[in-house]
Amino acid sequence: MDEYPSGSLDHSVPFLLTLGTRSGTPYDSGLSAAFKEQAILIRSELAPLESDQARALLRYIQDRDASKLPCNVREASRRKYRFRIKAAERSLLLPPRRARLPEGIEAPPPSAVLHSPYSPLSPISPLYPDGLIDSQWIRKHQELIPSVLLCFYTLTSDPSLATLCDNQIKTDVNNIRALLSQSGYKTRLAVVLLSDHASPSASVDGAQERLETIRRGCGLDSKALFLVPSSNSQEELERVAENMLTTLYAVSVEYYRDLGRHLRKKRGRGIVPQPTVPPTSGTSQTLSLAGWNVRYDFKFAVFAEYRLEMDVALRSYEQAYENLLSSEVMELIPSWSPRWNEARFLADVIAVRCLRCLLWSGQHSAAARRWLAHRERIADFVDRNGRGTNNYGWEAWEARWAVVMADLIAKTDIPELAPSTLRLYLPPEKSIMGERLQPWELLHHPGYWYRLAARHSQARKAYARAIPEDDRRSPSDSPASHVAKSAFAYDTYMCPEPYEEYPLGRAGVDHGQIIVDHLMRACDEFLSRRQTRFAAEVSLECARELAFAKDWHNTVKLLGPIWKELPFRTEGWIGIAEELGWTLRTAAAEVVDAESVLLADWELLSREFARRPDWHYDITRSLEGLTLSSKPSVSIRDGQLVSFLSASFLFKDEEGRAGQSVHSQLSISSNAQQGAAPVVLNSVYLSFTGSLDGVILRHQNGGQTAQRKGNTTLFVIPLARQADSDAHPEPTAPDVVDNGVTLVGFADLTLAPGQTLVFNLEIPLREPGETRADSLTVNVGSDTFDLRQSLAFEERRNANLWYISPSATKHIAHPQPLAIRVLPRPPKMEVRCQILKEQYYTDEPINLEFEIENGEDIEALAKLDVILFGEKPPPFTVIIPEHGENTSSSIRSEETRLSGVPIGTIASSNSLILGLRVPPIEQSSRYDLSVKITYFLATNPGTPISQTATFQLNVVNPFEANYDLIPRIHPDPWPSLFDPESVAIPTTGDSEEGIPHSPKGITQAWSLITRYASFASEPLRVTDINVTVQPSPTFHVSTIAQHNNLPTSGAGRFVQPKTIEEAIFNLSAQKFTVDDRSHAPLDIALIIKWTRLDTDSNDSSRTDHVPPINTTTLPIPRFTIFGTEPRVLASVVHHHRRAGGGPATTTPAPIPLIVLTVTLENASAHFLTFGLSMEPSEHFAFSGPKQTTLSLLPVSRRAVEYRLLPYSGVQGGGGGGLDDGQVQDEGERASEESGRWIRPGLVVRDKYFQKVLRVIPGGDGVRMGKEGFEIWVPRLGEQRSEKLQQ
Amino acid sequence: MATAIPSIACLGVIGRNNNPLHTSIFPSYDPSTNSFHPVRTHLQFALILSSTLDVFELRSRQNAAAGVGLTGDFGLLHAIDDRLAAYGFETNTGTRFVAIVDMRGRRLDGAIADARDKRIAGAAAGLREGEMRPVFKAMQMAYTRLMQNPFYDPDEHSPPAGQGGKKITSRKFTEDMRRIGETWMPGVGSL
Repeated sequence: MDEYPSGSLDHSVPFLLTLGTRSGTPYDSGLSAAFKEQAILIRSELAPLESDQARALLRYIQDRDASKLPCNVREASRRKYRFRIKAAERSLLLPPRRARLPEGIEAPPPSAVLHSPYSPLSPISPLYPDGLIDSQWIRKHQELIPSVLLCFYTLTSDPSLATLCDNQIKTDVNNIRALLSQSGYKTRLAVVLLSDHASPSASVDGAQERLETIRRGCGLDSKALFLVPSSNSQEELERVAENMLTTLYAVSVEYYRDLGRHLRKKRGRGIVPQPTVPPTSGTSQTLSLAGWNVRYDFKFAVFAEYRLEMDVALRSYEQAYENLLSSEVMELIPSWSPRWNEARFLADVIAVRCLRCLLWSGQHSAAARRWLAHRERIADFVDRNGRGTNNYGWEAWEARWAVVMADLIAKTDIPELAPSTLRLYLPPEKSIMGERLQPWELLHHPGYWYRLAARHSQARKAYARAIPEDDRRSPSDSPASHVAKSAFAYDTYMCPEPYEEYPLGRAGVDHGQIIVDHLMRACDEFLSRRQTRFAAEVSLECARELAFAKDWHNTVKLLGPIWKELPFRTEGWIGIAEELGWTLRTAAAEVVDAESVLLADWELLSREFARRPDWHYDITRSLEGLTLSSKPSVSIRDGQLVSFLSASFLFKDEEGRAGQSVHSQLSISSNAQQGAAPVVLNSVYLSFTGSLDGVILRHQNGGQTAQRKGNTTLFVIPLARQADSDAHPEPTAPDVVDNGVTLVGFADLTLAPGQTLVFNLEIPLREPGETRADSLTVNVGSDTFDLRQSLAFEERRNANLWYISPSATKHIAHPQPLAIRVLPRPPKMEVRCQILKEQYYTDEPINLEFEIENGEDIEALAKLDVILFGEKPPPFTVIIPEHGENTSSSIRSEETRLSGVPIGTIASSNSLILGLRVPPIEQSSRYDLSVKITYFLATNPGTPISQTATFQLNVVNPFEANYDLIPRIHPDPWPSLFDPESVAIPTTGDSEEGIPHSPKGITQAWSLITRYASFASEPLRVTDINVTVQPSPTFHVSTIAQHNNLPTSGAGRFVQPKTIEEAIFNLSAQKFTVDDRSHAPLDIALIIKWTRLDTDSNDSSRTDHVPPINTTTLPIPRFTIFGTEPRVLASVVHHHRRAGGGPATTTPAPIPLIVLTVTLENASAHFLTFGLSMEPSEHFAFSGPKQTTLSLLPVSRRAVEYRLLPYSGVQGGGGGGLDDGQVQDEGERASEESGRWIRPGLVVRDKYFQKVLRVIPGGDGVRMGKEGFEIWVPRLGEQRSEKLQQ
Repeated sequence: MATAIPSIACLGVIGRNNNPLHTSIFPSYDPSTNSFHPVRTHLQFALILSSTLDVFELRSRQNAAAGVGLTGDFGLLHAIDDRLAAYGFETNTGTRFVAIVDMRGRRLDGAIADARDKRIAGAAAGLREGEMRPVFKAMQMAYTRLMQNPFYDPDEHSPPAGQGGKKITSRKFTEDMRRIGETWMPGVGSL
């Protein structure tokens, strides 16, 4: 807008001039020098007012100047008046009403009429003779001729001076009025009187009278005289001023209405006024009627604008515009004529004023459409009649046209489009809502318009650059013919000639600056509406311009922040980031901004970006050609740049233990441009959150064994600890290294494009807790720079690839591959049980030895807890060397516990032997023994570490047994009731004495057969077997081990598990008195003495150890002996067994003669009679009573003897033979060879009760068969003795 | 007389993470050379597309405040200049479709224009609100078809918690976009 002459586009505001006060700025009439001498001087004779009140009033009025106010209806309706205010001190100049004739012109004909110097009719006007109108005219009304002249006077309160002063005022006013009317201008005159005394109330009437006098004396309207009372209060002053201005505004509007009316009259005449002097130069053409109508319409519109009648103004402007562009005006103007450009200018001015009218009334879309329409119209026009639109002049105009719109929008100050609303464009107004609209017709905010201007400026620049050299030469240097030829080839409307636009050899129009200006303004607008990306785009354009102009500093300043901060790269707009990167890099290299160069080069290495064929892609050559004062050091955050390096990390295990190490894999991949130089990483630093040590891998050329296949290289890196105090400091390592120990490894860290380096690391875990791989810092450097890139690890669930070899990977299913849970340090104290047997046995004392070994690096102070769980656990004793014995205290029935026994300090890698003793346990049971060592290390005395070992004790019965008690015949005779010796003498005194010392009662003999088996898991050594008999008050028992299968030496014998052993005991029982014949219980227990095998103790290398002999007592179920019932016992004697004597020796074939003795016992106190009968049998022959009767006295026994001679040859015959067969069927076939059983048919019958008594076997060779007792008949020969055991 | 009518200059699909998923560029008629050329370079279109993100952000905030815009149709985002205008649409999943319309992208020759074209030309070179809707509908259809492809993993293209993402490489989708961009003209009801 500034390119247009001043005032031509401004909003027309009524002009008010004050006279008679001093203001800060001196009055400038604004008249051009040519007019100044002819100007009409209007002068006040009175001295200007100096009072504070006058100044305050003037200041207030000046503050109300409306020329800079926003041009919209909202603003207008809020104000009651609008004035452009100017202040003159004592005099003012008005432009001449009539133009003088220029000198050198012949004396005009008398009929010649002098016209306004602004009219094309006056020869001195630049418009003469056929111009339309120019900005001078607009300026005339806007700045030179006031609509209201406001004169300041003092109303003196001094009564002595009052009349004089009043008269002076009257004179002065009249004088001015006369001058004004002389000038021919219809400027309204107004007077403001400032009362100078603070006693208005006293002389109100007087003052009123004076005012009236003055008014009348001056011939002023009542609306044109104002009195400002001499009040000190600002409010009062303001109130008066407001009233005054409002009143004057009406006057002013009336003034402009008069002008408009006059104009309409002139237009209505419809004649072409004749110029003062007919034109003699040029075409001699004068302004046509159509041209005059344009002029009138335009003027009319301007006056309407003064009156704020915007509709009227718009209509008139449109009319003027249409007429101007009609075939009668502009079409007729040849394009070479200066009038052509003037007409274009007028068209622009009208269009701008139209736009303002539209914007004024809120028709935003109409304004945009009007804007477009004007452009189309002019473009069409220029294309047809002018020099076309493909030149810099047109583009310059386009740019200007866009800026004009932007300025207009800014000036209009549309609240809906304010930056705070964040609205980018306005919706169409209702009247055109439904129409098809160009998107651009929705009024966008000025940023878009500035950007459009910038685009056109760029096009202008391009056209300018295309001007051929001949035209760029200054015309003074060019041949005249050429000048003439090129004179009309370029559109130079409001822009310089080609030799100025883009001159040869010197600077012309600074297109770059124009573009940058537009773009920067656009950028501000976009930024204020949070269009950051759009602003970035604009800035990029701007930077290109700056780069073109080699303004590298500003380029870097502009692009640096955008390149660093905007999210283009993170969001994947790679192309944009690339463009930014290259532009920035070029600029940064020029201003030696080494950091930016490095950053850009580093980023551009990535293959994401398009490859530039001529670029070296070598980071080490990045700073070539730059002269640096210091070595630049750059640190790049993760995500700050598109990094061509990517890193991943993987823990192989999800958890580990402190003190152990964990396998992990770090891989670094390069996605650099193909053909880029390999990057040598000086070092990489892997940091962890949590307690893990950082790992530094340093570059080392060669020397490592690496597996390489394809693009992947796999290293196994041994890591060494390096304390901070290491001799060579690591300047490039991040600060986080300071936290203590660092692990260092060496590898060849040369990374070629597309390659992946994989490092197998074994990282020791130090403290418990959750640890994560945090980031990787890669250091690259050379002599000229240091660069540090940090990379974060991405946690991807489905991409946890573990490189087994460079070519093979496997997937590791980790939910969190970057994290490892470090469990507390495993106790290194070990608790071992020296010998823990699988089974322990009842009745055996259990001695356990525990070895506690300190595997820690330092000595440990330990305590011991031992708990024995189980059912009724026995108390135990722990023997601690140097600390004595500790016995457990049973706390509950299920556990026995020994707590917190100090066991002293155990030196590192030493061990301590503890003994644990458990007394013999009677019952088989199962216990859990847990031994817990709690210890503290001197390095960390606050943290108890505990180690628990649990052992199981199985206690089982080593033996089980069953028993048979078989009756035998006691060899001793029974006592006789009639024998006084055997009768106890009743003692009356002490009952203790009543028990005789030697038993005298009846006797019985029994044979106890025990069969025991070992249930141990190993062979045991049984040393002795015995029985104990519970002493009874009524009888006495003596036992004799008849047969126990043990060696007599006492060394015992091994008993294999699960084999049945037999031991036979002979019992002989005798009642104490013969009177006592009742049956009595017999309680016996089997006692087995045994030891474990010696082999175990040999193993434990303690040769002096003798295994203790354990005694297991097995209670035998209770038997009952004695009783009063009579019994019949059968026993046999085989006579042929007697070696060397008897009948067996006398005959070569001995006769197996068997003596069967049947003993009948009557333990009752009755006289009993039994009948015995022996049936003959086929199996044997017998001698003895076949049928007899036996009488037994009370407590007596008698025996009957038979001699049996078995038939040897007879098998299976007769009644008894049947039984014999049965016997053999019962599984006694093995004994068939050695003998056989026969069954004598002996029946013993109680005569009195007629009851058959059972014959009980009472010795060897007799057994109970199914139907009676049976007798063993041995076959004469070798095996018979063994068989007789049955 | 030849009349310039709007045509699509560029179709862009932008992912949830503001990442470009797809860009199709269509040539516009250039009266000075009487040939078809894209009006902007690829880079410039990328810049234009990314700058629409500003508008999406602004508008979604305004829509949220006003409780409108549930259809996802953002209509005109902004006019880039007097020739290009960007229209936008947002799916429920945050994927955004942008159509950049060249208001003078195609020419209607009076001689060869058929009846329908005449009608379009007669309706002046503007665009009514809603005339872009078929474009977005068709784009959404194409996008839906793409999503139905079991080999297309949306999370790969717009990671739920992250930045960036891959571009769409589906040939069918590209073909769809090309078809939409080439066949659309003002007044077309469906694509």
